[in-house]
Amino acid sequence: MGRISTTELSRYLLTGQLSRRGCLHAQFPRISASAAFGSSPQRRHFASQVETTTPRPSNHATTVPTTPVTPLRKQLKEEAKALKASGKKKKKNADNQTVPGWELTVGIEIHAQLNTARKLFSPAATSFNDLPNSHVALFDLAMPGSQPLFQPETLIPAVRAALALGCAVQPVSRFDRKHYFHWDQPAGYQITQYYHPFARDGRVVLHARDGIAAEDGDRVEIGIRQVQMEQDTAKTTAQPGEVQWLDFNRVGLPLIEIITLPQIRHPATAAALVRKVQMLLGAVDACVLGMEAGGLRADVNVSVRRAEDVAAGKPLGTRTEIKNLSSFKAVEDAIIAERDRQIAVLEAGGVVEGETRGWSLGSTETRRLRGKEGEVDYRYMPDPDLGPVVIGEDLVSHLASSMGVLPDTEIDELVARYGLSSKDAMSLMMLDNGARIQYFYNVLDALEERLGLGGDTESDQRHALLAANWCLHELGKLTELSSDLGMTPDGECHVPSTDLAAILCHLHRKEVTAKVAKELLWSVFRGEVTTGGVTQAIEAGNLWFKELSEQEYAELADKVVDGEDKVVREFLRFKQGKLKAYPQGKLMFLVGKMMRAGPEERMDPASAERVMKDRMEGVYLPALDGNE
Amino acid sequence: MSARGRPRGLHLRHGCLSRQQQLRLLNHFISKAPQPTGQPIPSHFTLAVKDNIATTSALHPSPSSDPPPPALAAAAALPTTCASPFLSTYRSPFEATIVAQLRARGARLVGKTNLDEFGMGSHSTHSAFGAVSQQPSQPPQPQPSQPSQPESAASLLSSLLSAGGSSGGSAVAVAAGEADVALGTDTGGSVRLPAAYCGVVGFKPSYGMLSRFGVVPYANSLDTVGLLAGGVGRIRELIVGGGGGEEGGDNQGLWGEWDEKDPTSLSLSARRRCAREREGYYYPRLEQEREVGEVLRTVTFGIPLEYNIEELDPRIRDGWAKVAKTLQHEFGARVVPVSLPSTRHALSAYYVIAPAEASSNLAKYDGIRYGTRDTDSASDAAGGVLYAASRGRGFGDEVKRRILLGSYTLSSEAMDNYFIKAQRVRRLVRRDFDRVFALDNPLHEKETFDLADLDESIAMEDKWGPEEVDFLLCPTAPTLAPKLGDVMNQTPVDAYMNDVFTVPASLAGLPAISIPMPLSETAGDRTRRSDTAGLQLIGQYWDDARLLAVADAIFKTIETTTSTR
Repeated sequence: MGRISTTELSRYLLTGQLSRRGCLHAQFPRISASAAFGSSPQRRHFASQVETTTPRPSNHATTVPTTPVTPLRKQLKEEAKALKASGKKKKKNADNQTVPGWELTVGIEIHAQLNTARKLFSPAATSFNDLPNSHVALFDLAMPGSQPLFQPETLIPAVRAALALGCAVQPVSRFDRKHYFHWDQPAGYQITQYYHPFARDGRVVLHARDGIAAEDGDRVEIGIRQVQMEQDTAKTTAQPGEVQWLDFNRVGLPLIEIITLPQIRHPATAAALVRKVQMLLGAVDACVLGMEAGGLRADVNVSVRRAEDVAAGKPLGTRTEIKNLSSFKAVEDAIIAERDRQIAVLEAGGVVEGETRGWSLGSTETRRLRGKEGEVDYRYMPDPDLGPVVIGEDLVSHLASSMGVLPDTEIDELVARYGLSSKDAMSLMMLDNGARIQYFYNVLDALEERLGLGGDTESDQRHALLAANWCLHELGKLTELSSDLGMTPDGECHVPSTDLAAILCHLHRKEVTAKVAKELLWSVFRGEVTTGGVTQAIEAGNLWFKELSEQEYAELADKVVDGEDKVVREFLRFKQGKLKAYPQGKLMFLVGKMMRAGPEERMDPASAERVMKDRMEGVYLPALDGNE
Repeated sequence: MSARGRPRGLHLRHGCLSRQQQLRLLNHFISKAPQPTGQPIPSHFTLAVKDNIATTSALHPSPSSDPPPPALAAAAALPTTCASPFLSTYRSPFEATIVAQLRARGARLVGKTNLDEFGMGSHSTHSAFGAVSQQPSQPPQPQPSQPSQPESAASLLSSLLSAGGSSGGSAVAVAAGEADVALGTDTGGSVRLPAAYCGVVGFKPSYGMLSRFGVVPYANSLDTVGLLAGGVGRIRELIVGGGGGEEGGDNQGLWGEWDEKDPTSLSLSARRRCAREREGYYYPRLEQEREVGEVLRTVTFGIPLEYNIEELDPRIRDGWAKVAKTLQHEFGARVVPVSLPSTRHALSAYYVIAPAEASSNLAKYDGIRYGTRDTDSASDAAGGVLYAASRGRGFGDEVKRRILLGSYTLSSEAMDNYFIKAQRVRRLVRRDFDRVFALDNPLHEKETFDLADLDESIAMEDKWGPEEVDFLLCPTAPTLAPKLGDVMNQTPVDAYMNDVFTVPASLAGLPAISIPMPLSETAGDRTRRSDTAGLQLIGQYWDDARLLAVADAIFKTIETTTSTR
């Protein structure tokens, strides 16, 4: 099964956020362009390792400080301040998904950075937060006479992303130049795929658990018009005064732009789509993620039309574009604000103008950036230096087959096959950066081997549910005292999977009680039981479950029921039809008393329950009935 | 239109000119490499490089020792200005592949030659370093009593002849004997035209043969590196080599060298595939030893009817006819008329495509990293324009004209009517060539052609159609080198007319060469130094080796038959 990439999933599930780190970036040291000048291969390797772990001292007189990042706290504070200043109390977004009499239409363009070692058109290394301007090739700076060299390896994550989004990968695609002037773009144009993108006609399925608007029901499908590859621009860092610092490490990094069809009807669904796309890209390891860190940016196109116009089949209303939304919340908030603005304009008898608008975090209104007359004519032109990109069917099918299982499929499978709750399935997948689910599979494999089960073919998957519950809840209890499980990415921890499997095997066969099993788990965790010594420990501690006989259970039951006539009478009332529901609670009360009265280590609550129920039916009720 | 910038070559300070002073007057070099000092460095030939080709150190690399220390190399580095104010002080951190390749073959760099800014022009007048001119055979003698009068400078300027463009400086350097070989760039004729005007040989190879890495692009899909020399032999030796056919032999020709840094450089396998379908790449030494007559006897030349335009100078038309007659009657070559109907649209298509690509390529020159920022003008306020003032000040008129032209033809409203249509014309031009050449174009599927499309005047060889040809024989330019004074008074469109015969081969990516063609009479024009025009040979794609062999034979033929002049 394919592994979800790490923290992304957990943050996505918990907070709807993802950090930029992850994927390949966290795992492999980068070889920088400057390090490549080392004299020997070994030294070069060493240099690159050093570079990734410690900041190098700068040789230049002007030292470059680390990039200032606006802390989230500050952002939130500003957000609250802006809200307070506006004097309005914001309606909760969940209650603000529709406006009666109006239909909202939203299309989204999402930019994400491909997870590759090299830039799109130069062999310079990709990097994040490295020494600024240390990974820059001639072409990245558009040096006169330099030429683009397409790096075919960028196709691998790009095609995986396209497949994860259900797109048809095009056999031939081409690169075009998009012209506009900005200091972060050395060539004066960006190379993108305007006329012939490499992927088209995809779709993303959103479920209720993805956080779509309640109005969209359980499931909604959003079409992807196209996915195109393009270059990133340089990173600008504003300095005091009118000074901007540029880091060309980012220029030329490979991006994909994902363009959806205008099929989104609710603001929350739009945010859910962006989140889902991000999760899908992370799951197939296609992209360097982290919307908040700028790894993923979204532009939304918003239009509204009256419900009666929808019914009359009239075309969509004039749309406006809100650019550069950098958080999921911003996507939802900006759409709500822009929808309300457009409706207000139309209701006042005005006309919505096709224009580009901006949004700042925490505000309540979008602001006009430029109108149609101020639009840049990008003068798209096929790049005369770059040939067509030909993607073979063999590459596509290989990548499709090696992509692993997508998160939705895996969650569905955990729920359907093992009977996990949807919540538990997602929790299992998100814990320990995706290692917990791997641990679960390891435990399950070992357990099935011990039980001699064929795994997939078995219809009875109670052992798997047991394993899942233990991997999730019992293992979780071990860390409550702030100790670490020491989980590795390949799914091993301080409790070896084989030992947990051994414990669960005995538990499943009722050879030990749950209480003993839990104590064993602690012992293994603390290292008191050596690896592979679970059975031995049970033997040594004489912990085997020697269950009471039927007779002994019956005697215990009789003892407990004595003096509980009032409780027994409840069962009689049920039998006589005076009580609608079987008094299960009362039964369990009696079972609990049994457990406390008897030798707990020799009792199984299920057996106790069964005996108690039988005797209630066969002995106590007739006796009570007879008395009255 | 005027020669912008500093026309430093046009000021006369002394009445009597030494040869050095005369040469300086021509203004064909932008920078010169220091003369080698100390022990003479073995060098096979001297090389002048057009100043839109990146050079670093002018020091000759000696294979035995380490590269020169960086400080020394930097001191000897020549700027790469493209004759643009934007790059007037630009020194490239890397060297063009073609320069490295020629240095490895024994070239010694003598200097960087003047050109039209970024290669845009036909007379090498649009240069930030002043216009280039070629040496008149009898320079007008200014009166000793009137030194350095503005009038005399102006009159001198108007009497000087255009060197052609945009590789005018390179052509003049070869004509003046200051370089054995000169590098130029040919986008629409920029090597062939100055070669024709200056009476030297100018060769434009098949697109994709010579690396463009380090060549500052004007229009990438048309740009080629071209070679200029006094004769065909030197160029042929460099392109084809003399390795006796073995790959990696003792003298590998440039045709076989792929450059990984240029995405449009043909791959090695494609080079070999193309070469196997052609003559003259393998066993070139044998080829070079063949008799002139033997080479020409088997060749069929096509005379493109559409090139016999009204504007063609009658002296050139006569010379053209005479060469054709000589080839046919004295050397037994076949000469047949052919029709290239798309020719009349080719020039318009070129002047849509090339400026479009130029407008894109020149977007990087914004006054921030290159040139001088115009800080007086309004800055990049919201809605304002950041670079307009700097770019307006930094580019020359011709470059600005082409940027505007290109920006317009690429704009969303004009794209379909101009750029897309021009690309269609370009395809038609290429198909015209494919139809008349006996050889197939190895880069395209073979097409069938409708005889109904042919001009009625074309004679059919048989029921399948007219005779197919090996090479096209035509003039390089419709006129002789004009006086600079006349050039200055031309409209831009008049200047574009000079490219009418050279542009079709550029659009199709075909190899073409201009060799000097003698003219029967020069009509008493006493200021004209050269009584030659350019004779152009165009071959099918990757037929460069045979083209050079045949051009060499014709060049020798002309030399012997006109040795009396």
